[in-house]
Amino acid sequence: MSRENDGFEFHPTGLQRFLDAVYRIVNVFVRWDKLPTLLAAFNLAAFRDRLRAHNLHHTGYGVESAGKWQPGYERWRSADGSYNCLAHPRMGMARTRFGRNVPLTEAVPETDEALLEPSPRLISRELLARHKFNAASTLNLLAAAWIQFEIHNWFSHGPPKSGNEFKVPLPRGDDWPAKERFDGCMHIQRTASDKSPREPWLGAAPTFRNFNSHWWDAGQLYGHDHAKQMKIRSSQDGKIKFDGEMLPKDPDHKGADFTGFNDNWWIGLSALHNLFALEHNAICDALKSAYPQWDDEELFQHARLINGALIAKIHTVEWTPGILAHPALQFAMAAQWSGVPERWLHLLLGADNEVSRGIPGSATDQHSAPYAMTEEFTAVYRMHPLLPDVVRIHSLKTGKQETINFIDVQGSKTRALMEDHKLANVLYSLGIQNPGALRLRNYPNFLRQFKKDTPRGEPEIPLMDMAAVDIMRDRERGVPRYNRFRELVGKKRVTSFEEITSITDDADKMREIYKDVDRVDLLVGLMAEDLPDGFGFSDTAFRAFILMASRRLKSDRFFTDDFRPEIYTELGMDWIQNNSMKSVLLRHFPELGTALEGVNNSFSPWNVVRLAHHR
Amino acid sequence: MRITIPGIIRLAWLTDPDEVVAANDSGVVQRSLSGLGGLVQRSIAAKLAVFRKADGDIWPAFRDRADRLRSDRQKELEEALAETRTLLKRVAPETGALAAYVRTGSTNRPPEIIVQQMVGRLFFPDYAASEESYDAARALQTWVSGGPIKSYLLKLSGELKRSLDLIVTLARGDTSCAHATAIAMHNLVDTIERMRRLARRRNNLQKLSPQEAILATLRAPKQVVRETRDAGRVCGKHLGARTLVILRLECARRQNPGTGLEFFANGWNRCPAHAIVPALLADVWKKAKAGAE
Repeated sequence: MSRENDGFEFHPTGLQRFLDAVYRIVNVFVRWDKLPTLLAAFNLAAFRDRLRAHNLHHTGYGVESAGKWQPGYERWRSADGSYNCLAHPRMGMARTRFGRNVPLTEAVPETDEALLEPSPRLISRELLARHKFNAASTLNLLAAAWIQFEIHNWFSHGPPKSGNEFKVPLPRGDDWPAKERFDGCMHIQRTASDKSPREPWLGAAPTFRNFNSHWWDAGQLYGHDHAKQMKIRSSQDGKIKFDGEMLPKDPDHKGADFTGFNDNWWIGLSALHNLFALEHNAICDALKSAYPQWDDEELFQHARLINGALIAKIHTVEWTPGILAHPALQFAMAAQWSGVPERWLHLLLGADNEVSRGIPGSATDQHSAPYAMTEEFTAVYRMHPLLPDVVRIHSLKTGKQETINFIDVQGSKTRALMEDHKLANVLYSLGIQNPGALRLRNYPNFLRQFKKDTPRGEPEIPLMDMAAVDIMRDRERGVPRYNRFRELVGKKRVTSFEEITSITDDADKMREIYKDVDRVDLLVGLMAEDLPDGFGFSDTAFRAFILMASRRLKSDRFFTDDFRPEIYTELGMDWIQNNSMKSVLLRHFPELGTALEGVNNSFSPWNVVRLAHHR
Repeated sequence: MRITIPGIIRLAWLTDPDEVVAANDSGVVQRSLSGLGGLVQRSIAAKLAVFRKADGDIWPAFRDRADRLRSDRQKELEEALAETRTLLKRVAPETGALAAYVRTGSTNRPPEIIVQQMVGRLFFPDYAASEESYDAARALQTWVSGGPIKSYLLKLSGELKRSLDLIVTLARGDTSCAHATAIAMHNLVDTIERMRRLARRRNNLQKLSPQEAILATLRAPKQVVRETRDAGRVCGKHLGARTLVILRLECARRQNPGTGLEFFANGWNRCPAHAIVPALLADVWKKAKAGAE
């Protein structure tokens, strides 16, 4: 069996071939985002098929076996993601390798000298550092928390490795603290390496493991292994354990709640974890009423499936159109989940087509490689500029407001703050504040000199410049730099800095630092690039997104072949169909009603509640 | 020299020995070809892409510099091929037959088949070459360096696949052996032919030492193909992204003989046969010389 497909191949239909050819010609004259809505949405479908054919690359699994089969795996998700694909049980399970969206020969890191050029610290200081907060005015801070919540579901490279650190020379005048310097250099730890035996066809491409399950399975709530999952569960009526109004404290991770994945903890994550743990328990109550004979296991596993699918739906039809507010995206994302409403399109495409009916419930398809999260997808989700410098916590009851530096709403300080201010107030506060825009010179400065809390029993993590770390992560993992990345996801290379951005200062600064446009780092290019109308992130990042966002659904048995009442129950299907972020918020915190009144998308700014005595 | 026709080709030839060495060592220039940059690039990349096993294992000559498997295999092979005395003994019948050919111009079997068998036996003592196996090697060589029509016909007729299958089967799946017996051997065949011509002229066979004969007959491969992934500078020359870089090895070697360009002697991609090939040729010349006396 060839490693290119491991049994999987992309077979375009006649219509897909036709659309591909047509849009290749159309796009010579008109960019997709300038087309009328329906034509633009089909242009995106053509891009997606092209990417499915050329941009999925298998890197091997990196694990010997999927572990023991357990009864029930045919009906519900295993804790570690194994047996989602019954024919390829290792696919997507925790600790398997990240795949790639570029050919393996393009995923080879540069050698040591070029790897540090230009200095990531220089880029951090000159191009990324925030001078003035640039707000994303169409979004709220819940949208920033949400994407981190989701990323913690999809991937983690695990804690970085000490020893053999990258040594980044510091120029004279750099404000990096003297006690954190090593021979005049800043140290950046490397990503934990993959020690599993390498297949000969990998060539020089490095491989790394995903410590989380790759599937969209709400693993951030439920954990990525069975032992952890059992500790999260209350073992009663399928519910998640609570300690009073909140998830229990994590004894090993000061300030964090005990949940599936609680790294990089802050109040935004705590709010969402608690909210969806409450939602899980509400689903359990509903299931128990409908199926009183079910035991704890049946209730838990069904509630997990339903809650996970609801989270995926919210991401698809609310968060994504929120951050990518282009009419074609509004149409396409709704279609991705529930199909297109136009009947003539059903006749044209066939009723079972994923565009006609939406991906959920359509046939599972891995396209040209076994499913895995990819290094390139990880790279385009580097979105730290979303974080503001301060968070203002409001009280719904009293109207009082407290402004707190972001550094003090995260890590070990999180739990106490959540207990003091209560979940509803935190959610409201996140709902009315804007996050940062994903642009150059908007990287939060507290992250550029950041001391991360170390979980108990783990070695101390040195002071980090996260902006420099972000740059180095892409470089060390062999993610192509911006211009080559563009080419490999089907866009034209740019030939000048001015083609990336119309902001002259930014183009000049990039020229000064990089000299050659081919050297621009992916992160910098993505943050600099001029955006299509309504977009919150770049069109280049969006190409990886077109492919992977639908793949998370299309490859997953529980969103496709097994997205049916026999697996989810009728109640479950209705729950997913009838709920949204807003209904989840209002179910558990009805006091948010005024703030959410008339708000169509919970990730856009909510109403500011004005109390009578404050008028 | 450079040619750029947008959408068709972006090509640069390097012939200066310093430039060739610098390009070979430079991080800007890669061995693997992406097929991006123009139709010609796509066609050449597609040609080289066939040299992999069914599971995708790429032949060593097409592996990248940073490929650990390549460097491990290179080291292993270099060590194995450094056992020149043992290997010369193993291929004594073949070197004897080639010596007779150099001396007399005739042999019982075509010399190219003997060369292929000799090369194969460096890997497997019982490797048996035949007319079919040599035809397969020639077909693969044509596939690599022939024009588009010849290549198309090779593919269309199924000869390419048959040849590849035969070579890999004879090499027992060893990609280094497959590469040596399909591609690398042609340079040795040409060298033996040049030795024969050299031996026929005046009384060179008596007069010239094996080292002198090797110096006069051994050539570097005509050219190797590389690609720039991104734009960069090599020896002060700017190469654009996705430029097909042709390193004209033989041309460079002629300008500066004795620098080891035949085997990229000082490069990361040093030919693992850099010791055994001169030893084999020396043995052939020595035996031919002894036969003449």
